[in-house]
Formats: sequence, structure tokens, C-alpha cells
Amino acid sequence: MTGLDRASGVADVVPVPVPPAPGPSLSSADDARAARAARARSVAGTVALYVVSLAAAFAISALLVALTHGSPAKVFPAMYRGSLRSFGSLGYTLDNTGPLMIVAVGAIVSTRAGLFNIGQEGQVAVGAMTGAFVALKVHPAGGPVLVLALLAAAAGGAIWAGIVALLRFWRGVEVVISSLLLVFVAEQVLFYALSRTFLLKEHGAGGATLTESDQLSSKVQLPRFGTYPHFNFGSGLLIAVVLAALVGLVMTRTTLGFRVRMLGHNPVAAKHVGINAARLGTVALLVSGACAGLAGGVLLTGQAYRITPTISNNVGWNGLLVALVARNNAWVAIGVALGFGALQAGGGFLSTTGVPTDLVNVIEALVVLAAVFPPALQEVLRRRARRSQAVAGAAA
Amino acid sequence: MSNDVTTILASAIRLSVPLGFAGVGEYIAERAGTLNISVEAMMLTGAYAGAVGSSVSHNAAAGFLWGMAAGLVVALIHANFSHRLQANTFVVGLTLNVLALGLTNYLLEKVSMTPRQVGVWKVPLLWHIPVIGKPLFAERWPAYLLIGIVPAAWWVMQRSRWGLEMRSVGENPKAADVTGIHVNKRRRQGLMICGVLSGLGGAYLSIAEVGTFNSNMTAGRGFIVIAAVIFGGWTLRGTLGGCFLFGGVDALRLALPALGYTINPELLIAAPYVIALLAMCFFAKGLRQPAALAQPFERGAT
Amino acid sequence: MTDGRVGEPPGSPTPSLEARSLTKRFGPVVACDCVDLTVRRGEIHGILGQNGAGKTTLMNMFLGLVRPDNGEIAVNGRPVVIDDPFKAASFGLAMVHQHFSLIGPLRVWENMALGEKGRIDEGSTVRRVRELAERYGLDVDAHARVDDLSTGQRQRAEIVKCLLRDPDVFILDEPTSVLTAAESVELFRVLRQVVQEEQRAVVLISHKLDEVLHATDRVTIMRSGRVVVERPTPGATAAELAREMIGRDVSLRGDLSAAVGHLEAPVEGAAPAPAGVPPVAKGRPVVLAVHGARAVGPDGRALLDGLTLELHEGEILGLAGVEGNGQKALGDLLASVLDLREGTVEVAGRRVTPGKAGAMAAAGVGMIPEDRHVCGTVLDMSVADNLVMGDLGAVSNRGVLRRRKVLAAAHRLIEEFEISVGSVDAPLRSLSGGNQQRVVLARELARSPRVLVASQPTRGLDVGAIEYMTARLRRAAAAGTAVLLISSELEEILELADRVAVIHRGRIVGEMARCEVDIDRLGLMMGGQAA
Repeated sequence: MTGLDRASGVADVVPVPVPPAPGPSLSSADDARAARAARARSVAGTVALYVVSLAAAFAISALLVALTHGSPAKVFPAMYRGSLRSFGSLGYTLDNTGPLMIVAVGAIVSTRAGLFNIGQEGQVAVGAMTGAFVALKVHPAGGPVLVLALLAAAAGGAIWAGIVALLRFWRGVEVVISSLLLVFVAEQVLFYALSRTFLLKEHGAGGATLTESDQLSSKVQLPRFGTYPHFNFGSGLLIAVVLAALVGLVMTRTTLGFRVRMLGHNPVAAKHVGINAARLGTVALLVSGACAGLAGGVLLTGQAYRITPTISNNVGWNGLLVALVARNNAWVAIGVALGFGALQAGGGFLSTTGVPTDLVNVIEALVVLAAVFPPALQEVLRRRARRSQAVAGAAA
Repeated sequence: MSNDVTTILASAIRLSVPLGFAGVGEYIAERAGTLNISVEAMMLTGAYAGAVGSSVSHNAAAGFLWGMAAGLVVALIHANFSHRLQANTFVVGLTLNVLALGLTNYLLEKVSMTPRQVGVWKVPLLWHIPVIGKPLFAERWPAYLLIGIVPAAWWVMQRSRWGLEMRSVGENPKAADVTGIHVNKRRRQGLMICGVLSGLGGAYLSIAEVGTFNSNMTAGRGFIVIAAVIFGGWTLRGTLGGCFLFGGVDALRLALPALGYTINPELLIAAPYVIALLAMCFFAKGLRQPAALAQPFERGAT
Repeated sequence: MTDGRVGEPPGSPTPSLEARSLTKRFGPVVACDCVDLTVRRGEIHGILGQNGAGKTTLMNMFLGLVRPDNGEIAVNGRPVVIDDPFKAASFGLAMVHQHFSLIGPLRVWENMALGEKGRIDEGSTVRRVRELAERYGLDVDAHARVDDLSTGQRQRAEIVKCLLRDPDVFILDEPTSVLTAAESVELFRVLRQVVQEEQRAVVLISHKLDEVLHATDRVTIMRSGRVVVERPTPGATAAELAREMIGRDVSLRGDLSAAVGHLEAPVEGAAPAPAGVPPVAKGRPVVLAVHGARAVGPDGRALLDGLTLELHEGEILGLAGVEGNGQKALGDLLASVLDLREGTVEVAGRRVTPGKAGAMAAAGVGMIPEDRHVCGTVLDMSVADNLVMGDLGAVSNRGVLRRRKVLAAAHRLIEEFEISVGSVDAPLRSLSGGNQQRVVLARELARSPRVLVASQPTRGLDVGAIEYMTARLRRAAAAGTAVLLISSELEEILELADRVAVIHRGRIVGEMARCEVDIDRLGLMMGGQAA
């Protein structure tokens, strides 16, 4: 396991409560009570820290709007209306949440295995490509083709991540670097595919050449439940939920999940116990890529209905950020994905206020920084305390 | 024919210069152990600040100071989150990229400006040399700053105490710490220098090369810089070679259609990344990565 | 290892370095409790104590890595506050580090320059390094890359690095564990020269009686964070020192001689093997056979160079050798972590593929690794997880873990091996070192291995834990398990082993039955001179 992989990812697993220093234990009843009080205080402190942090992020955004002749009083309510206010908006939010969650789940798997894949954006694009290929070229269009397209999307993303695994386990190239560089290669592959009619380029419409593909037949589109403006969402969300639950169970309850976690924590001990790092690591990367690819497929068949160069719409980067902000905890990731989804849905309403939708990206970035700040601060304080204890344990 | 070569060469140099500035900065940051992926943000904010600054102060050259300051601000945020608060450096870097893009696009729409462009400076006599004279010696004047920056960077990293400490921090932070060196402080300083230089590179894009600021002007150049450092095996010489090579590839991409060759532009755009990956694959022995690259350091944490 | 003892009384009456009632607490644990220490010029002062006595915390306070809670430090009589290593250096305190101080890819002279301030001057640094090397007879090449140096050369470089600061007080922490006997002698000669000629002081931290007896002028003995005695060394007997170190009368012929690093007693008792140990099991079947093993590390250096050894059922084979001669590689090989270029490994007659994940364990090789944090355990997973990770199949059903089975297995092992835990789901990190080692032992013994490899099994443990580990190893052997004991502590090997082999530069250079052991011959073999 190379240094980059271990260091970049594993530090973000859910923090373990600080263990008491090894040594003579004190009176248990008082101790337990004191420990409970301390925990309660620390939970309250954490919550307060998050609230303050997030408030600061929104405050800075409001300041930005105000300083540029906008009106925060109009902007934030507009975003609220666009994301959560009505059932229709809620539907948009949920639509956005689905792909984010799928990507995040995949990112969590590979990070838990100790391999820090940050190339989801590229894997989403490749997945959308392969999915589009199947959806457009396989006839007759219908339900089975839809399923096939989604599977193809997952396979495409998996193959793209497979390159990362190959480079890592054959040549020792760091996962962080290769997955990052491959994102930009994927973008160009997509462009190329969209410029060739035998691949994905749009047919007909003589003269005007847009870089996008044909529209997917309605039979190959993900079914939706309900219609706007009533509560509606696409089945992409269902896929996301099922996938998250599945992955969560496998990671915590099965021997496979145990092995993946062990590999992430301590690859040397894992090898001793019989875990083949290359094999299991590759599986983890493939799963991670498959999830990203599937998200691309869901975007394609559930929202965009045709493939364009910007099909991924930063779902890859954002999904990765969701996983990181959620500190690789699948349950928290669901909530964080919802937050991101709401932000983006809210952005859709911004144009009515005269504020550029780029504001959404600004707010999103500030929110991520705000979400990263409290645990980072706490970890530093905790490590300072533990450092004294560790020195004692190791040195005395 | 020689005219074409001259044009392509001039184009290559022009495109390489911003990469070069940022490359020197990223080289320094990575030798100290930080895999900095917010270079894109540093360059983009530098480009924007450069344009705005030159507009506000009615002076193109002043824009460079603005650009460097903007890059420094990004670096300060990154450095304090990563090497003081121990947040995951990739999260912070990615987020800064998103923030930079969103913020510059937003401001571009909301805030009007009339950016300036710096003038070309022709080195007397030398620029008359056929073929290479114009590309090398008739550039916008900030490009010549590289002539000073590169040797200075070399000297600082290889000959000064500070540089020795930076290198040791990137190879073995634990040993450096025990020797009394402030590991995280040095890493923060590396990032800050990267920020200043990348901001300078970005400003060069907007005030020197193009003359205005466009949305997402850097278009991934920050990542190309990272690829260049890798391709160059984490040496200064190699990094600059990589920057020039990738700049040249970009120039080719722009020039070839005009010359009548049809090559897929996508291939050439993707080339730097593919080249860097191939280099890592097959020249692993020659590329000595700083041993502690991307490994966060906290004193006493086991 | 006798050396020129200091005949003249120490020089200046003002002590170079003092600790006055120094106290440091880490949570509820008191690492140093009102420690007084007086180190005078011109003397080599030993600090003797077993693992856990507080020696290293004391040193960390002198070096500015840890701040004391109470008490003060005085240098040349003046109280000082030491904030960081630079400050410590400015007061004339320097430590010869074992592992952490030299930076591999840099050259020796660059490393020397690192600890100083001001402009870098290669020429002058190299010159000073050469001068010091000549003066003290330390062979150091200033232009070599540290990565290319041997362990002995690295330590010499560390010493030179210290000398460059012109310290008043040198601190060495367990320096001889990585040296051959010959190199240790050389080291003490240098220290003696440093101390006598220049009236500096040396503080030698050790848990080995012999070292302290032979190399120091005065000794301060620490136990459980307190100083129990401070006395001149000449005239002290091993038994006295051992009693103070451990706190009770110690039979140096027993298990504890290993713990206190006392060599002579086990040798005296060489003729009859200690009771309870089966006779050399030459007639018993061979359960582990390694033939001609050759392995190379990532930097191209040979780790194992044609290593051949055989292990019989029920015997304890002690593998002696100075650290860094291939013990770790052998351990890694038997843990399936290292692959071989050449050579074979057979367990109970069946070939096992080296380097194939889990193959050794599946073949019946249990492993107590040298560094349990790296190879033996996953600190961030729970105690229960660590106990069952060796055999997931037994606690799962078709790939799904069964919590009840996991708990049952864990509790069973905790009881049998008397592991002291709060909750079975607590992270392993929260256990003490001795208990963590028990977890490893429990997990490995639970599978009734044919071969048990114990690599430095008692390192870092206090005497109680050492006794337990030693007894367990004996029990395993008595039950028929073949035990390979790899240790850099000769005393431990002589105490437990039926047969002793010596490893040097990646191959076995000699073997002898326990009753035939000749300390001098062993020492020569460990130093590379075939006997």
C-alpha cells in the first residue's frame, strides 16, 4: 500500500471516541458519570461548532450577494422555494440527490479499502457514454434495454476505474494521481465520441452541429413517480437508496466487508491473514467506478435523456465531496447528499432573482469548508490530548 | 515553413509561460510533501484578480500584484485548513477549485471591468534572430520574470538552509521534526509560495496573453501543472521541461488545423495527462517521488 | 565488555545536568514521579529500568519534546526551561537517536547541517565532520547518502551529528540493540574518550544490566516512574541492580534474566537445561524447513541470502543475531508478506508458496510479529475483530458474519488468555501493550499452529507480561508446537531455547544445542566471524 493511498483516505473514517489512557482505572461509578457528562458536553459543543460554521458560510454568501448589488433577502428564499418549499421542488432536490448518493457510496467503498479514488467525475462521464451507447444503439427500445443500459453504464465506470487499479497494482502508480489525471482524459474521450456519428453524435439536423447525442427514446428512460408540480421523483432515487443500504450491509455484516475494512486499516496485517491486496483492492476500485458509472447512467436515463459533454454536471466531484464531508459514513452521506441536492435545486430558482447561478457553487464550496472545519478542529485538539497519552504509553 | 515553426514556437512559449510560473510553485510545494490540487484555483483567481486589478488601477502591471495576492489568499486558506487544522488536503483543494470557479464566474457577471494588457518587450538585437528570435525574445515582458525566478528557485531549494529543510520535510517529516524543524510551518510556506507563483501565472494569462478575463479561463491548466511536476520527476528542470512540452502540445493543437493537418483535438488536449501517466508507469525508477508526499503530519501521532 | 574505568573522580563539582523533582502525568498515569537525577561532568551515567519505568519520558523532557508538569531541569546549576529540541541543543543537550533522526535521501553532510542555523556551508560542514571522525575514530563518509549506510554506520553518523553541536551532555537511548558486540565495544570506547578527554557527560539509557555494569560510572535505577536508587557502579553486583530494577529478589537463573539483560547467569547454568524443557528434539519430525531462501528488498539490497533452517516438532529454536541481519525478513516470509527470489518453504512436508497472501497461516504457521502494530493487529478495529480476524470462516455463515459466534469466540479467548479488556468492542488501541500482545498470542495459538514464530515477543513489555509470554511459549512447545524464537536479546534466547542458531546478513552462520552454547563463539558468529 503506497503512502499516498493510506494517508489520503483512511484518516477520514468515522472518528472513534477517545479511549481512556491505559493505566490504573479509577472508581467506576464516578468515572462513568463524569464520562457521560463529558460526552454530553462534547456532543453539544460539536453541534454548536457546526451551527456556527454553517452560519458563517451562509453569512459570507449573503455578504457576497449584498456587496454585488444583489439582495440576500430575495436570494435565500428563492433557493428555499426551489428546493424544499413545495413538493415539486422537493422532487428536484430528490432527483439531484440520487446520483450524488450513488457516487458517494462508491467513494466510501474505495476509501475504506485504503485506495483514495478521486476520479469519479471521469468515471461518471465514461459510464454515461457506455450507457448512452447501449440505450441509443440497441433496438428495440424497451425496459430490458434500459436495464442493460444502466448495467453498461456501471460497467463503463468500472472499466475506467479498472485502469486506475491496473496502474496501481501493476506499476505502483498512486491511485490519487492516476484517477485525477484520468478525469481529464475521460472528458476528451467523451468529446471524441460526441464528434463521431458512428459513436454518439447526433444524427440529422443538417447544418447545425451540436455536440450532443440523439434523444433517448421514451422507452429507455427511467420511470418517474408522480408529476410536477406534485410530489415527483425519478426511480434513480430508489436505485440510490437500495444501493446505499446494500453496500452498508455488506461493509458491516459480511466477511467481504470485514476484509475490505481490514485492508484499508492495515494492509500488512491483511496480507498476513490471507487478504490479497491487489485482488481486493481492485474489486473495491471497480465497485467505486461502477457506482460512479451507474450514477452517470441514472443522469442520462433519468434526467438528461441525451448525452452532452457536460452530462456529468460535476456529479462526480460533488459526490466525492459528499463522501468526504460525511467522513465516509454511509448514513451521514445520505443526509449530506440531500443537502447538496437541495442546494443545487435551489440554484435553479436563482435566475429569477437576477443572481447568477454560480452563486450556488460558491455557497456549496463554503458549506463544504464549513462542514470540514469542526471535525478538523476537534481532531487537532483530540490529537493534542492523545499525543500526551500516546507518548506515555509508548515511552514510559 | 520557418514562418510556421516560428509561429508554433512563439505559441508554445506563450502557452508555456503561465504553466512555468505555476510549475515552479507546485514543484516547491510538492518537494515539501504537499500534493496541492488547488493550483487551478490559485491560477484562476490570479487571472481574475489580475484583470480586475489592472482595470481598477488603470495599470496593467499592477494587475500582477493583485494576481499574486489572490493566489496567496487561496494558499492561505488551503494551508491553514490542511497543515494547521489537519483537514484532508484533497477535500480542501477540490473545494477551493469549485469556489474559485463559482466566485470568478459570479463576479465576472456582476462586476464590470476593463482589463489592460501589458506590452511586448523586444530584446534589442536578439529578437532579430531568424526563427527563434521572435518567440524567445519578443514576448510580453512579464515572461522574462521566469529568467529570474527559475534560478532563484533552484538556488533556494538546493543551496539554502530553508530549501534543505523543505526537502527534508517532504522526505521524512518525523526525522525533521525530531531535529527541531517545524514541519507544518514549512509546508504552509511551500503552499504560500505556490499560491503567489500560480497567481502570477494566472495573471499572466489574463493580463499578458489574452488581455481579458473569460469564464474558466484556466480550463484545467492547474492540473496540467501537476502532471508536469510528475512528468519531471519532481525536479525543477523536469518540471519546466514538462511545462514547455505540454505548452508545445497545446500550441500544436491550435496550429495543426491551420497548417492543414487534421488531428483529433481531443487527443492533443488529453496528451499531457496521458504522457504523465505513461511516464509514471514506465519511468518509475527515474521519478523519485518525495517519500512523504501527501502524508499529513502531526507531531506525536502514531 | 570491560573498558577503561574512570580512575579519577569526576571533574567540576557543578553537575552538568540535573533533574529536580521532575514530574509528568499523562492522564491518570504518572510517567515520572518526582524524579531526581544528577549527571556530572566526566562521567558516564546509566539510567537503568525495565520497559515502563519512565526513562524515555525523562529523556523526552530533557530534549524538549515533552513539558514537565512539576519540578525543574537545571543545566550547570542553572534552572532552564526547554521548549523544543533547538532549545535543548542550545543548552548543550544532545541525543543520539536510534531511528528517527537521519533523512534517507539526503547526504550525511546535509543531515549534519540540518540541526543547525545560519547559512549552509558544505565545505565547512564536511571539514568538521572529517575532523570529528578522525578524532574519535568514527568512520563516516560525509558525502554518502544515508540510505546507503549500514546500521552501524548510521549510528556513527548520528554520534557525529551530536558531536557537531559540541554538547555538554550526550544522551543515548538503548544504543546497542542494533550493534554487534564488536561495535558495542567500539561505541563504549568512543564514549569513554568523549567523556574523559573533554569532560563532557554521557547519559546511557538501558534496560540491560550488563551494559550498565560494564560501561557506566554511576547508575540511577528507575522503577514505575520513580528513582529507587542512585549509586556508583563499581562494586555493584548484577543481583543487586536487578533487585532494585524489578523490586523483588530475582533469581537470575530464572526467566527474568532475559528481562534484565543479564547474560552471565544463564551461561553459568549451561550444563543442565532448565527443568521442563524437553531435550533437543532431533529425532522428532521436521515441521518447518526453509531451504536456500533468497529475497531482495525494494531498494535492491539482499534481505535473505541463502537462508536454510529446520525446525522440529516441540522444540524451541532460538535465532540469535544483531538486529538488521534478516530477522525481520524471515518473519515477513513466514507471515506471507515477503516473496522469495529463490528457495523453498515447507511446512510439515508440504511446499508453501512464499508471498502468497495467507498461505503460511493456512499451512499452520502462527506468527507473533516483531511490530504488532504493523503486522499483527489492526489498532482501529475492535478487540473482538482482532481476535477473530485470523479465522473469519469460523464465525460466519456463508459470508455473513454472525455476531453471536464472534462474541463467543472472543470471550473464550479473553478468558483463556486472561486478557484485560473493558469491552470486547473497544478498539484495540485502548489496551495496554502487554494485553495487545496477548491478543496476538491468543489469536495465533487458537488455531493450534504447527509452527509458532515469535519475533521479539517480549519487546516493550514489563516484567509481568514477559513472564506470561515466556511461560506460554514454553507451554506451546510442550504441547508439540515448534517454536521459532527470533530475538535480539541473547538472554531471552538462552533462557528458552533448546537449540540456538545465529543469523548474520541474511543467512544462518552457525547452530548449536543449548548445552553446547559458548558465549564468545556466539558473539563472534553474530558479528559475522564464522566460528
